[in-house]
Amino acid sequence: MALPLPGAGWSSKDKPYQIGVRARSFVPSFTKTNDASSMTNDHILPKPSVDVLRKMSDEALITAFQSGDHDVYRFLVERHQERIRNLLFSIFHDRDFIDDLAQEVFIKAYQALPRFRFEASFYTWLYRIAVNKSRDELRKKKLRRFFSFQTLDEGIEHELNMRLSVPPEDRDTQELVALGLQSLPEKFRTAVVLKDIDGLSYEEIAEVMQCELGTVKSRISRARSMLRKALKPLLEEV
Amino acid sequence: MKKMNEQQMDHLLSQYVDGRLSEIEVQKVESFLALDTSAQQRVKELRRLKDLLTSKQKLAPDIGFWNRFAAALEEQKKDEHSLLPFPRKFVPAITIIVAAVVVVVGTLVIQNRMQFIQYFSEKSQAVREVYERNVLQGQLLPLFSKVDKDRALQFSLFGTLALDDKSKTELRVDQQSKKGYRIEVGKDSKNKAKPMTFDHFLAEVKPTSGQKHLIDSLLELTGRRIESSVLIGENNTMAIAPDLPNLNRMMVTNIAACLEPYQRVQFERLLEANDAPYTVTAQSVPARKGDRIFQNIPQSPRDNRFFIITPDTMMYSQLHIDFDSLRRHMEENVVMFELRREAMLKRMIAREFQHAPRNVPWPQPVQSFGNEEFFSVEINVPTEEIEQQQMRVIIQPRIRKQILQTATPNHSIQERAWKDTASEGLTR
Repeated sequence: MALPLPGAGWSSKDKPYQIGVRARSFVPSFTKTNDASSMTNDHILPKPSVDVLRKMSDEALITAFQSGDHDVYRFLVERHQERIRNLLFSIFHDRDFIDDLAQEVFIKAYQALPRFRFEASFYTWLYRIAVNKSRDELRKKKLRRFFSFQTLDEGIEHELNMRLSVPPEDRDTQELVALGLQSLPEKFRTAVVLKDIDGLSYEEIAEVMQCELGTVKSRISRARSMLRKALKPLLEEV
Repeated sequence: MKKMNEQQMDHLLSQYVDGRLSEIEVQKVESFLALDTSAQQRVKELRRLKDLLTSKQKLAPDIGFWNRFAAALEEQKKDEHSLLPFPRKFVPAITIIVAAVVVVVGTLVIQNRMQFIQYFSEKSQAVREVYERNVLQGQLLPLFSKVDKDRALQFSLFGTLALDDKSKTELRVDQQSKKGYRIEVGKDSKNKAKPMTFDHFLAEVKPTSGQKHLIDSLLELTGRRIESSVLIGENNTMAIAPDLPNLNRMMVTNIAACLEPYQRVQFERLLEANDAPYTVTAQSVPARKGDRIFQNIPQSPRDNRFFIITPDTMMYSQLHIDFDSLRRHMEENVVMFELRREAMLKRMIAREFQHAPRNVPWPQPVQSFGNEEFFSVEINVPTEEIEQQQMRVIIQPRIRKQILQTATPNHSIQERAWKDTASEGLTR
């Protein structure tokens, strides 16, 4: 009986793996055959090559992970780390801080992945973890500010106004946008980041933020309204 | 289009910019925008804002992210592994099982509380019975009981104490050994001291009423200390408080310290006349007050520690004994305890004595030896252990004629020499 070619049947274009059937093919001790009575060592499927694994869909990799091959988590991390780091960077605008936070997000995902039910796409699920994590961090920061009697928000607004008061040619647009986002309350900031920076749909944002679609629309319009007022000199340039 | 407030306008225009409106809604908005320049400006700004956000600078992929993450994950796994003795996935199940067990056990305990109370009462009763059997009922008894003033004075001045008036067996604390103290429990020896009574002491030294009360208290304390310093047990076991050898010298020092210089001269004469092992020096120091004297005398053996000597072993260990309850118990059953103690002592002295290990883990090297007639323990301690500078009345060992005549030049720990000396004493 001819062995199937490495990667055959694992294309991400196909439907996600049938849990408990195809997943077994990732575990060396399992066999991939339709005839259970003919299970011999000859039918042990070799582990797919790194290139094949890299091209596999999220769902296929998760199925493999849930079947016991935890090494495939590397490919999920490599695939999504950029998006998660950018999401966190847009929310916090602190390059040093977000690396640790991104690690915590992926560790949390690693621990929860065995319970992933394929009801949502992996990246929205991952976004939800990241958003929850950043919400927790912002609460902690808020608490620290409260106990240290700091008014950071006022500081951001003051800095934003200072930077906007310089001539247009001296303005750093990226910095101004980042400061504008920082001045927004957390739920508005996250909503507008997910929509306009990460390009998620309203429905996906509702899923990530675990709220109603109407709430998402409202939060995005409120966030834009606040940003429009905060960055008015910048927006009037054109 | 009906009139909207600013928030509603922002909401609608935001949806318009995102292309979330239906075709009819789009037509309505565009017809409105054609008439309202401020709304046009608002849409313009919204689009500009959207462009700015979309074009916001992105972080480049972090090539080393996986390696750092893998290290962090490994660390996390180690932490979890060290915290939980089972895989993490079993936490909920184990929590439920533990909670169920706690509830079941708690319910059982509450339902059967009377049985539990009875069980623990019986246990504590058993412990109490063991204690009574071992300590109170004579498994371990003080060698000396009811040490009165005369006997306490006899011990203080001469370092000897007869087991009772009839018995020839006595305790001897001998300070003449150059290497330390020797405690002997055995039959009468050549160094038997002359009998001394408290009345005789009063007649000779003539202390004042206050001094008499003070010395009286000192002797009472001495008696109690002797009672709690030497214990004898079944299986030829003996427990000796390590500070017993110092006790008589300490008491002579304190008796001398509470006397006036002229009385101290009388006291020294009394000691000399009776060939006591001590001599009083520094006689000109004025008498000390009672509270200053008593504060330097320990009331019980140090840390309840004893040398516990058995035929085969010797150890320095704590021995917690409630001497007050033991004394009460003995007073209630005098005859029974006397008989038991006599039998134990006979067995101990009469046994074929074995050498115990030479050194116990304590700063004082200790040896025990003996023969069929006596039992001896030698404790090597620094000669000037008593804080005599503090007391200012110096008591020194007297060089006695008998010792000078009989002691060998290297009189020390040699077993043979001790045996010979003891045998010699017994044959006389």
